[in-house]
Amino acid sequence: MNKMETLCLLCSQPLQSVISWKLLLTKQFQPTICERCSAKFEYSSTASAFYQYNDAMKDYLHQYKFLQDVALAKVFRQKLYARFKHEKATIIPIPMHPLKLRERTFSHMEELLKAAHIPFIQLLEKTTAETQSSKNREQRIQAAPLFRLMDGAHVEHKEYLLFDDIKTTGTTLQHATELLLKAGAKNVKSFTLING
Amino acid sequence: MRIADKVMNIADKSSRIADKVMNIADKSSRIADIPMNIADKSTEIADKPQNERSNAMKYKGWLLPPALRDFHEGRIWLKEHAPFQMEDIEKAIHHKYFHIIEGIQKEPHLRCNRCHNDDPQQFTTFDCSKCQQPCVYCRHCLNMGRVSSCTQLMTWTGPRAIRTRKHALKWAGQFTVLQEQAANEMLESVKAQRSHLIHAVCGAGKTELLFPTVHYALEQGLRVCIATPRTDVVLELYPRFQAVFPQTVIHALYGGSPKQEGYAQLVLATTHQLYRFERAFDVMIVDEADAFPYTFDETLQSAVQKAKAENAPILVVTATPSHKLLTQYQQESYSFIPKRYHNRPLPVPRFHSLWNYEKSLKRGKIPRKLKQWTEERLARKEPFLLFFPKVELMKIATPLFQQLDGSIMAVHAEDPERKEKVLKLRQEEVPGLLTTTILERGITIKNVQVAVIGAESTIFTSSALIQIAGRVGRNADFADGDVVFFHHGITIEMDDARTKILNYNKKGFSQ
Repeated sequence: MNKMETLCLLCSQPLQSVISWKLLLTKQFQPTICERCSAKFEYSSTASAFYQYNDAMKDYLHQYKFLQDVALAKVFRQKLYARFKHEKATIIPIPMHPLKLRERTFSHMEELLKAAHIPFIQLLEKTTAETQSSKNREQRIQAAPLFRLMDGAHVEHKEYLLFDDIKTTGTTLQHATELLLKAGAKNVKSFTLING
Repeated sequence: MRIADKVMNIADKSSRIADKVMNIADKSSRIADIPMNIADKSTEIADKPQNERSNAMKYKGWLLPPALRDFHEGRIWLKEHAPFQMEDIEKAIHHKYFHIIEGIQKEPHLRCNRCHNDDPQQFTTFDCSKCQQPCVYCRHCLNMGRVSSCTQLMTWTGPRAIRTRKHALKWAGQFTVLQEQAANEMLESVKAQRSHLIHAVCGAGKTELLFPTVHYALEQGLRVCIATPRTDVVLELYPRFQAVFPQTVIHALYGGSPKQEGYAQLVLATTHQLYRFERAFDVMIVDEADAFPYTFDETLQSAVQKAKAENAPILVVTATPSHKLLTQYQQESYSFIPKRYHNRPLPVPRFHSLWNYEKSLKRGKIPRKLKQWTEERLARKEPFLLFFPKVELMKIATPLFQQLDGSIMAVHAEDPERKEKVLKLRQEEVPGLLTTTILERGITIKNVQVAVIGAESTIFTSSALIQIAGRVGRNADFADGDVVFFHHGITIEMDDARTKILNYNKKGFSQ
């Protein structure tokens, strides 16, 4: 996972690496996608997400999650690193159901954080293998609890930050937030890569 | 064979169980492959009256679904992605009908066993939650379903699919003397299992040349593949071959093609799809062998080698063979057609300077000479194609041309309406199209006129320019037309294209 990319991970065009003082003196990751591809992602206007869902993001998620291209975890590492490096709250990525995890062979949220060298912990466990995207709005809001605490998980009285890939109705994050607060967390924030 | 004949009779009477019985018939003709009791069963079935047959069909063991055999023969396929029930796949593996290999080969160096990619840059290692250890996967053929170290690939080793030798050739066309000669030479090469290069100018009628050879091979019970780097070419060839070979099961394979039933003895495919075949074809035809990305991507060339049987001949058909291809085949066997089927010379491109065209377009102005040329086409109601070197420049130019005529449109590779727009030009609903090099080959439009803008750009190689010029004058009623290369300086490639075209005309009309 740590090799240098010479081709854009999305369009396979050669990448031009530019050496700069910033690159030498601060912690900067090598770019993994070309400028043309990164220009296709649309920034979100909300503070709790980086990007707005659009066609480029749809293609990205398809290749990353459905075609299981783990290498794409690196695409957003520079942005994630910049966002989370001074984060005081403990980061918890939204977990996958064990069955889904075996099927996909990797946890897409954890890989994103690993690629950005961001420490995280896990306290939650998914109760159902059903996906949110297969349900409509009503069904999502009325869903039975989506998470439970892991065996032996200890929720401290401090601030946590939940990290998920995409927020549409916010049900997933709401379920996890309520569970953590009930278990004694002081405060629970959330951040998503994409705003749906 | 007697058992098989009997069973075949029943198959005719009852179409409901026909498939299953056919399967048995096939098996019983290959007794060596199967336990005797299945063969016995088929005699039993044959002896029973019709109403008891359904009872007799309740065979407790497992019968190979013919569709599974028909699909997998010749293919190399990810086990998890097989389009059949896992139970049947497991049974087939148990019967040793499949040979299983690992997805990624680690020794002596990393290699994907499907696409044969061995560029270390194209592999990624990660901690796999399925196999609980570091796992490598191939990014090169990712779109076809991920191949990783913990996935398995299957190739068919079970009973062979039924091939028929009955194939009609429904084609009433006439060959020119040159076509006839080339078609015969190609046929001789196939009979002698020798590879062959057909070098024929644009509009010489290359597709028709293939008909006798393909027909011969099919009647010999051989499996034939026609591969090409371009999806557009597959889409254009498919209906033509369906019409000419009405009795033959033909599949057209390209990215996103629909599922097709039965066993295809004739397969039309993009070269990419050949990653999914192994030792499948007895005759391999590569059409437009010089098109991007085939010459550029070596794994595509190795895919062609891999997809054919070891000693199967390769027939290469192209209008613009590379130097490498020419030297490779000139000693072996080579046919050359310098003349179009309608016996008229190829239109020779004119060079026309268009200094600083890029600047002018960016300033919102169409250069005068180009404007004149376009207006002339519009006035004469001649359909036209304007080739641009870059999508960006074309997008800048599109609104400018739309000021001349509002219905002018632009197409590029990622355009979802690409097919519709070309159709509109053909049906004279739009006067002309702006395009990138994607329309350089494979399209035929009556009386089309062509201009290349920025012919000096590196993307316009000599073969691209020859192909572009080859769009003009393909119809016997409109055998002439204008090809103009607007340029900011003449390149060697432009000169080369023109010299070659002049040369073909000289060769074609000297006798």
